[in-house]
Amino acid sequence: MDDIRYADRIVSADEVKIAARKAQVYYGTNHALRDVDVDILGKTVTAFIGPSGCGKSTFLRCLNRMNDTIPGCRVEGKITLDGQDIYDARVDPVQLRAKVGMVFQKPNPFPKSIYDNVAYGPRIHGLARSKAEIDEIVESALRRAALWNEAKDRLSSPGTGLSGGQQQRLCIARAIATSPEVLLMDEPCSALDPIATAQIEELIDELRAQFSVVIVTHSMQQAARVSQRTAFFHLGRLVEYGETGQIFTNPRDPRTESYISGRIG
Amino acid sequence: MSLGTLVLAVLILSAAAFVAGRRFALSRAGGDPRRLHSLPGHYGQHAALLTAVPALALLVLWLGVQPLVIELRVATLLPATDDATTASLAMAEVRRISEGLDRLVVAEGLSDRDLAALTPEGLAPRLRAVGAAVADITPQTLDAARAHRALQASFGLWMSVLVLGASLGGVALALLRTAPDFRARNVSERFIMWILIAASLVAVATTVGIVLSLVFETMHFFRLYPAQDFFFSLTWNPQFRGGSDLGIWPLLWGTIYISIIALVVAVPIGLLTAIYLSEYAGPRTRGWAKPAIEILAGIPTIVYGLFALITVGPALRDWFAQPLGLGSSSSSVMTAGLVMGIMLIPFISSLSDDIINAVPQSLRDGSYGLGATQSETVKQVILPAALPGIVGAILLGASRAIGETMIVVLGAGAAAKLSMNPFEAMTTVTVKIVSQLTGDTEFASPETLVAFALGLTLFVITLVLNVLALYIVRKYREQYE
Repeated sequence: MDDIRYADRIVSADEVKIAARKAQVYYGTNHALRDVDVDILGKTVTAFIGPSGCGKSTFLRCLNRMNDTIPGCRVEGKITLDGQDIYDARVDPVQLRAKVGMVFQKPNPFPKSIYDNVAYGPRIHGLARSKAEIDEIVESALRRAALWNEAKDRLSSPGTGLSGGQQQRLCIARAIATSPEVLLMDEPCSALDPIATAQIEELIDELRAQFSVVIVTHSMQQAARVSQRTAFFHLGRLVEYGETGQIFTNPRDPRTESYISGRIG
Repeated sequence: MSLGTLVLAVLILSAAAFVAGRRFALSRAGGDPRRLHSLPGHYGQHAALLTAVPALALLVLWLGVQPLVIELRVATLLPATDDATTASLAMAEVRRISEGLDRLVVAEGLSDRDLAALTPEGLAPRLRAVGAAVADITPQTLDAARAHRALQASFGLWMSVLVLGASLGGVALALLRTAPDFRARNVSERFIMWILIAASLVAVATTVGIVLSLVFETMHFFRLYPAQDFFFSLTWNPQFRGGSDLGIWPLLWGTIYISIIALVVAVPIGLLTAIYLSEYAGPRTRGWAKPAIEILAGIPTIVYGLFALITVGPALRDWFAQPLGLGSSSSSVMTAGLVMGIMLIPFISSLSDDIINAVPQSLRDGSYGLGATQSETVKQVILPAALPGIVGAILLGASRAIGETMIVVLGAGAAAKLSMNPFEAMTTVTVKIVSQLTGDTEFASPETLVAFALGLTLFVITLVLNVLALYIVRKYREQYE
């Protein structure tokens, strides 16, 4: 395990970006998530781990109100972004999602050119006044997503023509082009091979300089590699949340220990 | 043996063969199905198929060939003629007399000798009395009819014998082949594949047949009427005395004009309906709204035609055409176009709705996740992704509009005119096909044969539209998935 590069665990910023208090999620009558209290820090990578169906993706989707699009889903409790309740009636989910971007499990580029995929967010949010500005945003987003060198000569070809790993980096570029404050990633590497995974992990570590990143992952190694904070979910509850090194080497809760040592999950 | 009994006999034999094949296979395996290569049912199926299919195929083939052979033989008894029309009329007369003799035999209980003694004198009224529409009978036609009847009887007997023989042969062959290591499953699967291929060939062969018949009649027409006049003349003025102007343009223009109006009505409304139903409506609204819209598609077009004639036409005339000084006719291009557009709405909305629903949810999530609103998502992500399918739906709708007849007859009138005024009566290719062919004219004059040329033109246009639709759908689908 010595050759695996672990992320720097020292967190420079201590500001709380997103805070959840007693968050509950119901799908119809099914109580999917109970009493989740989490403080997600700014400029930090936070990993959510846990067995399938434990509620980690559900909680992730609460953070930018993507659950609003699921019929029958209800969220209770309090989730704040920079101190403001995101479930407040005055908050427009559209604006919230511009600030809290999301990358999905399966790469889902739009049926458009690579350029138009990245320019999509800046255009709908009116972030640029001229074509030149959009060009600039697209280039810098693709550079930050480590896709510029591969894509710069084929910006007008369809995004769906890229390989799986490139598509996922395109989706990340698309998400960071709107300059979000938080980037949510729902198992971003589960459909990728190890090389593409390594590229994305490196990318996540670089993105930490600008945003706070929340990543759901099934791979405990990945959580250990990329994150500074880790939350372990089990059966719809947050079991343990803390510094990644401590969770993996010295968990306080016996369930966490069982999971990371492979006895449950 | 009549045809029905024969088919029934073959089917009963086939059912018996199923049971026998199954039993026989089991007994060959000593009652242990595990020692058989296939399930016992497969052996039964194999026997049943082998019994029924070749026999029925033989039957169909025989029924197709028999009249040709009989008529070839009977024709030698008739006075020789060079004219194909006269010959076919004489042959039709022979068939009617032969049929009449059949009925006479039943009605009057004639023996074979009575039949041979019949003379043409006074026979015609007796045949008409039993319901055979014969005109006058000559000794030659009567002889020919007798021969026709006799041949039919003997051919019928041979057919029954051979079909039943084929059927029994099938049973025997199946049982002979049945053994524990005989691969009955593979054989019957292959058999079924061939039946399916034969079924699809029927549709293909019919298409080819329709096209060929259109092409031959059209060639016939162009021999009587110059093609350049048909394609380039701007007048449509058929005269049944001869000397007609048969230019296609007034009709084609009417067709195109009405179809464009119909699509201008149907495409936006249908598409917006589809977007509402698939993206905005909740499951409950969707549950009743979608069937309600699809009911529109079930209304016969003649009913739409009545709606155009009685409601839309007069309303347009009173509220638009007359106040604007554009015309005083209640049948107009606008009437037919509007009503046809309404007819096409469910067609376009239902197809587009399915296509929009097929756009993966992950694309919607991706767009919402970037902070796009619902209408931005629809406009920028869903519609572009669904576009090839939607274009296909629109072109299919256009094909229907072009082929529509009843709404035009009742809504737009029958006057062939080249005009830009949408409140004037015009007509389409389909309407003129109907009007050129109704009435008892034989298909020999350019005025009737023009219908086939019109039909072929229409066929080519819709074919091109359909091919275009398929091409667009294929091309863009590859790019987007």
